[in-house]
Amino acid sequence: MSIEAIPAEKPKRNYNALFGLTLLALLVLLWVILSVATPSFASANNISNLLRQGSMIAILAVGQTFVIITGGIDLSVGAVVGFATVIAAMLINAGVPVFLAILLTLLVGVAIGLFHGFGIVKMGLPPFIITLATLTSLRGIGLLMTNGNSISINNDAFQEFSRNSFLGVPNLFWMVILVGIPAYVFLHHSRWGRYLFSVGSNAEASRLSGVNVQRTIYMAYTLSGLCAAFVGVLLASRIGIGNPTQAEGWELQAIASSVIGGTSLFGAVGSVHGPLLGAFILATINNGANLLNVNAFWQRIITGVLIIVIVYFDGLRRRGGK
Amino acid sequence: MTSTAQDLHPAPVLEPGRTILELRGLEKKYPGTHALKPVTLAFRAGEIHAIVGENGAGKSTLIKLLTGVMPRTSGEVVWEGRPAALATPHEAMALGINAVHQEVVLCRHLTVAANMFLGEETARFGILQQRAMVRQAQKIIDDLGFDLPAHVVLGDLTIGQQQLIAAARATVRGTKFLIFDEPTAYLTRKEADQLFTLIRRLKSEGVTIIYISHRMEEVFELADRVSVLRDGTLVGTRNIAETNDAELVKLMINRSIEQVYHKEHFTPGAAIVEARNLSGKGFENVSMTVRAGEIVGLYGLIGAGRSEFVTTLYGRHRKSAGQILWQGSEVQVNSEHDAIKLGMALAPESRRDQGLCLNLPVGLNLNLPIYKRISNNLLISGAQEKTQADRQIADLRIKTPTRNALASSLSGGNQQKIVIGKWLAHGAKLFIFDEPTVGVDVGTKAEIYRLFGTLLSKGAGIILISSYLPEVYELADTLHVFRRGKLVATHGFRTADHEEILTQALAEKQEKLGGKT
Repeated sequence: MSIEAIPAEKPKRNYNALFGLTLLALLVLLWVILSVATPSFASANNISNLLRQGSMIAILAVGQTFVIITGGIDLSVGAVVGFATVIAAMLINAGVPVFLAILLTLLVGVAIGLFHGFGIVKMGLPPFIITLATLTSLRGIGLLMTNGNSISINNDAFQEFSRNSFLGVPNLFWMVILVGIPAYVFLHHSRWGRYLFSVGSNAEASRLSGVNVQRTIYMAYTLSGLCAAFVGVLLASRIGIGNPTQAEGWELQAIASSVIGGTSLFGAVGSVHGPLLGAFILATINNGANLLNVNAFWQRIITGVLIIVIVYFDGLRRRGGK
Repeated sequence: MTSTAQDLHPAPVLEPGRTILELRGLEKKYPGTHALKPVTLAFRAGEIHAIVGENGAGKSTLIKLLTGVMPRTSGEVVWEGRPAALATPHEAMALGINAVHQEVVLCRHLTVAANMFLGEETARFGILQQRAMVRQAQKIIDDLGFDLPAHVVLGDLTIGQQQLIAAARATVRGTKFLIFDEPTAYLTRKEADQLFTLIRRLKSEGVTIIYISHRMEEVFELADRVSVLRDGTLVGTRNIAETNDAELVKLMINRSIEQVYHKEHFTPGAAIVEARNLSGKGFENVSMTVRAGEIVGLYGLIGAGRSEFVTTLYGRHRKSAGQILWQGSEVQVNSEHDAIKLGMALAPESRRDQGLCLNLPVGLNLNLPIYKRISNNLLISGAQEKTQADRQIADLRIKTPTRNALASSLSGGNQQKIVIGKWLAHGAKLFIFDEPTVGVDVGTKAEIYRLFGTLLSKGAGIILISSYLPEVYELADTLHVFRRGKLVATHGFRTADHEEILTQALAEKQEKLGGKT
């Protein structure tokens, strides 16, 4: 995977790189097993499909991880995705140039993120509450705007994008790289990234050290909102409609990917490559289970078990490492 | 379990005067610190035994060992003639050992009655007998002479009242040995009197009381005997009638001071910061100046207003009146950010809560204040980040395997070096150190003091807050004494003796003692 090719030259902690390698090994192992077990898994078609499936959750998980590193949570991302499909669809159908429509949709995501920051910093609401409130109300607002109907997007070029590939790799997966590399640089090589960690570790110590804690929190939620709106645009392109009820439960998948990828829900521990790997592990399990004709209900159970196992072993090693 | 009115008050098991608890060579070592050197001491049943000592002398370690919060390194504890492991808090409580802590550790959201019986609720067929518990709790509270309702939520009471409830709670559980850890820190005088009444009453019922306090007047008011700890060593036990506070103070702070305190004198330069009649939460009308090249010491008890004064100076809290002048011109410091921009640096009192990102690497902690400087608009310079961190680690002699080790893996002294050291590269002009050597061993202390000299030689000024008198006494060029939110006295370098300064910090003791004896 290309994301893994990014050198983990300065791991935050030694186990971070190690954990990434373990996850990568797990993913490769899954792929090997599935290639042997099913004839169709290793086909170019299926791999493209798998990458498409995993890409959107992967991008959500990156934004989510920024928030979780500060010790927060963003439950709204699934709803933001659905809402963003509506905004994008409406704008495009209204004749707004696609480029501008995408930009405006992204700005809506930014605005939602800023609102979350406002609720947490200025109103003193717990992140869980403010984002839960947005989760339900955004769905409601979207339904009001669409009267509960789906909006078909009348723009073939826009929809083509998500189906096409570049250099044999699906465009959607290129989007993961487009988000992943700047995110990696941001998190591990910029001071704002450091501040995310320090705020999540000890907000008081950070403030006393001159870190603008409030701005850092605004930033985390804004980035999460931005990622979610971006995924909304991609989803609109993929399904060709705007529908506020889309992406139901994606917030939980994003959180699961992040946690599987080694992010600590207590904050201050996390990476970019981890959640990306986590998202594709989940996508592989779903994809493989489909190919193996495993009951879809089982997929959910497997995901749950996997979360427990991975986080348990991660916790074990971290405690042992001290 | 059910509680009935009968077992609310413990019956005295031993006649007063017999040994109830004996420490034989009790010892505690932490990595890098010898917190408690072998202590041998016998507590008598029904006595009030005060333990005094400076911060870091080993008092809290002793409490933790006795209440089973931490295991001892070596030594024996003999309880009523039998060795006791005291491995868990549960075991200590089962024996009848309880503690009332300085901070209330109760459930603020539950009622007073629910807190009193927490873990020992009265139930019938699994249904809580709430009204019966409130009645019982009220009876206990009334018996103790506290004028407090049992049915209200604990959090609605003042901290002092909560402290009284915590004390009352400790008395209802068959307690034979009760430790009070600075119980009056947050109490009003009236509440403290109520607490003393309770303590004397427990004593008359045969309960052994350990009373830990910084306030000498309380020790003399309450205790039968007093033991003094210094640097983890028990340096003496006295009958209260046969000692005086001068002797206790000497026992507490006497030591070969020159080895530790390395004082360099510089000619003070221009004023860096000046507070004019500054008032705020917890202090009022404080004026002082800090000049380049000098250490200004602030001495006083915990809660005397020193920390509140500096956090206000640092923009953490709003001032209510007065002016702050920075290098001669008036400034508004509305946030820590403003303060840091001016050139102030604060190494806060509580490492864990305010000073460090414990689960992050040492290097990140050291660089936190200077990331702006070692990054361009977008990216951090990886090379600079490394060299800065490594240089601090070498300069400060921080014992860490690499800059990537987590701060939590370091010893307390080394952690403290990070808290202080991160400001060195920042190049601040005014350094505020709030209790910089609490829980730090003597060797590290000496290194930290040497750092002060380095800072001063670069033209910085230092505000040094300490509850440890020798520290401020030996280091401060100007020493301000705080008491109850006011600046009550100012001395030059070694111009007053310890007793005089202590008296000023403790004050009311003199009149009180005079009235008593």
